[in-house]
Formats: sequence, C-alpha cells, structure tokens
Amino acid sequence: MRARTLGWRACAIWLLLLLPSLARGQVRGTIFGPGLRNYPIAVSPPKNLTPGGAGGDLGRRFAEILERDLVLSGYFKIIERSAHIEQPETSGMDVETIQFDNWTVLGALALVKGAFELDGDVLTLEARLFDVPQRRQLTGRRYRGSVDLLRRMAHRFADEILLQFTGERGPFDSRIAFVSNRDGRFKEVYVMSLDGGDLQQVTKASSITVSPSWAPDNRNLLYTSYKRGNPDLYLLDLLSGRETRISSRLGLNLGGRFSPDGSTIALTVDDASGSDLVLLDRAGDLVRKLTDHWAIDVSPSWSPDGRQIAFCSNRSGSPQIYIMSSDGGQARRLTFQGDYNTSPAWSPKGDRIAYVSRYEGGFNIFTIRPDGSEVRQLTQASGNNEDPSWSPDGRYLVFSSNRSGAKKLYVMDAAGVSQVQLTHGGGDDTSPAWSRWLE
Amino acid sequence: MLGRAGVFAALALLLVLPGCPSRKKGPGETAGAAGLEEKGVDTAGSLERFKAGERPAADGGPLRDVHFAFDSYELDEEARAVLRENAEWLQENPREKVEIEGHCDERGTVEYNLALGAKRARAVKDYLVSLGIAADRMTTISYGEELPLCTEHNEDCWARNRRAHFVVLGE
Repeated sequence: MRARTLGWRACAIWLLLLLPSLARGQVRGTIFGPGLRNYPIAVSPPKNLTPGGAGGDLGRRFAEILERDLVLSGYFKIIERSAHIEQPETSGMDVETIQFDNWTVLGALALVKGAFELDGDVLTLEARLFDVPQRRQLTGRRYRGSVDLLRRMAHRFADEILLQFTGERGPFDSRIAFVSNRDGRFKEVYVMSLDGGDLQQVTKASSITVSPSWAPDNRNLLYTSYKRGNPDLYLLDLLSGRETRISSRLGLNLGGRFSPDGSTIALTVDDASGSDLVLLDRAGDLVRKLTDHWAIDVSPSWSPDGRQIAFCSNRSGSPQIYIMSSDGGQARRLTFQGDYNTSPAWSPKGDRIAYVSRYEGGFNIFTIRPDGSEVRQLTQASGNNEDPSWSPDGRYLVFSSNRSGAKKLYVMDAAGVSQVQLTHGGGDDTSPAWSRWLE
Repeated sequence: MLGRAGVFAALALLLVLPGCPSRKKGPGETAGAAGLEEKGVDTAGSLERFKAGERPAADGGPLRDVHFAFDSYELDEEARAVLRENAEWLQENPREKVEIEGHCDERGTVEYNLALGAKRARAVKDYLVSLGIAADRMTTISYGEELPLCTEHNEDCWARNRRAHFVVLGE
C-alpha cells in the first residue's frame, strides 16, 4: 500500500514536471486527444445533503455514469474511486476546502466534486470541475429535475467536461436508436443512451423492421416495417407512442431520412426500372423525385445545411457513394476506390462523410471529405464493420461490428483510435442511428 | 411429363377448393393415385413463414428458385434454364398467380441489399414476361438479407441465400 502510494506520488511529480500548467489552450493541443486515454481525472461522488440521508446511492450512481462517459470519450483515464483519500461526506467542494494535495498525490489533473439533495422525487444536483494543478474551478453546473433524470444529469455534465477541455460540447446527452433481435426472432427498434442506459424497446411489430432514423426533434423516429406485408415507412412519436404509416407505395419505402429542418423526408422507393430517391413532405406526399435511374439508388444522407444529399448508387456497375443537390439534378460520384461502397453518413460538422467499403472480403468503415479527398480507413482487421452514424458533435461514430461474434454496437472517435463495445448479451444489434442533443 | 401435369392439375384443384385456409399445404396428402409423382407445395411466403416461426422454404414446389452471384441481379444461363421451366408451368396453369421474392446473402448493407433483392425479383419477372407470361400474374417483393434460407457464415450458405423464390398465390 505504501509502495503504491509512493509510486503514485512519483508519477504525479513526474507529470507535474512534464506538464507544469495544463491550461485550456494547451489542453486543446496534441497532448489531449481521443484515444490517448491519458488525462487523469478523479470523480468524487457528489455529497448527499438530503436531511435524513434519503437517496443514498445517487451520488455513487452519478459518478459511475459520468466515469463511463469519460472513458467512452477516449480522452480520460479514471482515477479509481477506491484509491480516493478525500471522501465526499467529510470534505468540501470549493477551492478553499478541497485538499488538492490529496488528489495531486493520486496523479489527478482534473477533479469532479459535487453535492445533491433529494426532495420527494425532485433531485437537485450540483457538480463542479476543478483543475487540480492550478487549484481552480473550471466550471460548475446545477441540475434540478425528477430523480429519473439522474442519468441525463451525468451525461450533461460529461458533455460540459468535454466542452471545458476540448472547446466542444460532448455527445453524451443524446440517444441511439438501433435494430435488435435480442428478445426473440423479430427485429425491433430499441432506444438507449450511449452508455447503454435507459434501454427501451419502442416497436412491437413482430415482423421485419429496418433502418431507424431520428427526426430533428429527437422525439419522432422513422423506420421501415413489413408489419402489413409491404415494406412501408412509419413515423413513431416516442412520447405519445403513436405510430403513423407515412408511405406505403408498392414495393420499397426504405430508409427515410428527415431533412435537417424537419420539413421533408428523403426516401427510397421502387419504380418500374430500379429504386429511386424521392422527397416527401411529413404527411408522405411526393414533393419531387430526386433520382430517376435504372440503377439502385439508396441510403440518402443529408448535408448539415440541407442543400446536398449523399447516397449510394450502383449506376457505375458497383455500389458507390454519390452527392447530389437536394433540389435533384446531376449527381457527382464521390468514391472511386473498391467495388462496394455503401451507407453514407454525412457528419453534422459537414467536413466528412463516413461510409462502408468492402476490401479484401471484409467490410470496414471509412471517411472521405465531401470533395473526394483524404480517404481514411477507421476500422480494420476486426470482423465486418457497418452502419456508421455520427454523434451530434461530429467527433464520434457509432457502428455495428461482428468482431466478437454476433453483431454488436461500438463507438469510436472520428480517427478510429478509440473503439469501445457498447452493447452486449444475446442477438444481433444493427443499424444504429444517433440522435441530436436532447434539450 | 403427363405425370407432372397430373400433379399440377390436382394442385390447381386443391387451390380452388372452397374453405381452404390461406396457407395451403401441397397435394401430397390428397393426390394419392398410384403412379403419380408427389411434391409438397407451400403457398406461404417467406415473411408469413417467419412470423409463424418457420424457416423459409427452399424450392420444393413446382417453381424452382434461381440463384445469383454476389452483388448481382444478372440471370446466368442456369437461371434462365430454370426460369424457362418455371414459365412452362405458368403457361400450363394460366390462372395461377405468383409472388417472386428477392433475397440476398448476409454480406453487405441492409438497405442496399433490400434494393438488390428488389432488382433480383424484378429481373426474374421481366425475363418471364419476355417468355410470354402476363405481367399482372406476378408480383415482386424484396426481403434483402432479412430472411435467409441458410444461416451459416460460408460461401455455400451465402450462395443458397442469393436467390429469387416463387410463392404460388393461387388464382
């Protein structure tokens, strides 16, 4: 125990010598990056201020959810809670009362402290982030709401911590919809948080259901279901549970994607010669045809400004990614490497398009700039990797992979350095769709 | 050939019997006359079977499956030969309607495979139309990679799954 403490002390001193002042500016530089997982942070569970001590484990749960998010971000190394010297119930939460030496000795460069009070089922929770070497507070947030919102409070604070260290809000206060047959032979749509929390089955079609995607309001989901025989497009209001059939044209009504302003839906439908992209209004009426081609045109993905649509077409003889104006008209071919490029996903930042490419028999995720330059391979030598979908901040991708056997969901940063498995258990989890930030 | 025609006539009779459930089993049990060939026919589509907890049917009926190369909806000579036989049956049973299902193997993208399956079913229908079968006797549907016949992860299995499958709907 003593040797371990000494080891930590030596390590901390070494780090202090190396990094004398990790101010925000420097933090944003090359030292601090996703996948490095090297920025040591301690999360002290918020102190329970509730008279009588009700809500006993809420602080620990908040810390666990926050720690999980910070690990998933790929930036941080968590200082184990069992090593903490300073305990929440017997210490303060401001720069005057925190014993920073107790954290320095553990090697922590950042520290989260906080407090909460439970009144009935209303939770008030305050969390603060400190720079340990500089002994100053970087940010503080107070959350108040139903105790059911504890997870979201933790996710929001994780987003805030990433904002402090990287200048950009994190992706954690969001939802991921996906397709799974985990509860039987039918594929249904599920919704969960990035950390796997708040898992909810939202369809019970007892049929084939594919291609979930979010409306920009985060409240409605589009998907295609064979529940009435034909693959029709449905819109599900997650709050009311009301499901509306939007498009039931004979044949495919596939892969609907809302425009960023939520006013129209790009959709794949069949016509006499092939599958084409059309634009529908929210009621399912045709606004205009986007493509009219003998070939397969599928999987529309909107640019964040809504002016362009990336899609997959085999008009050249093999599936490739194309870009067209959302007004229709001429399409420009984007990918030229390989003979199987599908599933385009335009980053919310606009700077890259993720897609799936078949190479030497395996399927992997790549990104490319919208001008066709800078092709990057993000996954390799680890099973088949498909269905990329971007986080709301454009820094992460969720995808499906069979690298460990069945298809499961994984998250990685946009460079592919940090890759973490999100879902476990039985069945195949596929077709993840990441929402925007919840509000 | 006469024997086959006999079976098909018996089948056609069975299909028009009033009160038959929508999901009809083949003539094997009823067409018991000596010397007749017997072959089970299932008129349930792959989705109906899936919902009932059954595996998709291979080509056990009068209309055989046709198979495709990876990422292809081209009909090779073997597929055309099968379809010429299928066309013969459709001509001998002019009141029967069929659904043509397009299927893919598990590799590749769900949405692309759904569109590819539609192309496969459409290619089969177009060829049968070119052989003189009326277009309004045939509907098509794609199940992409969603309802595989075979669930192993190898080329033998994938080859069986890349198919167009016929379901006799009756009249």
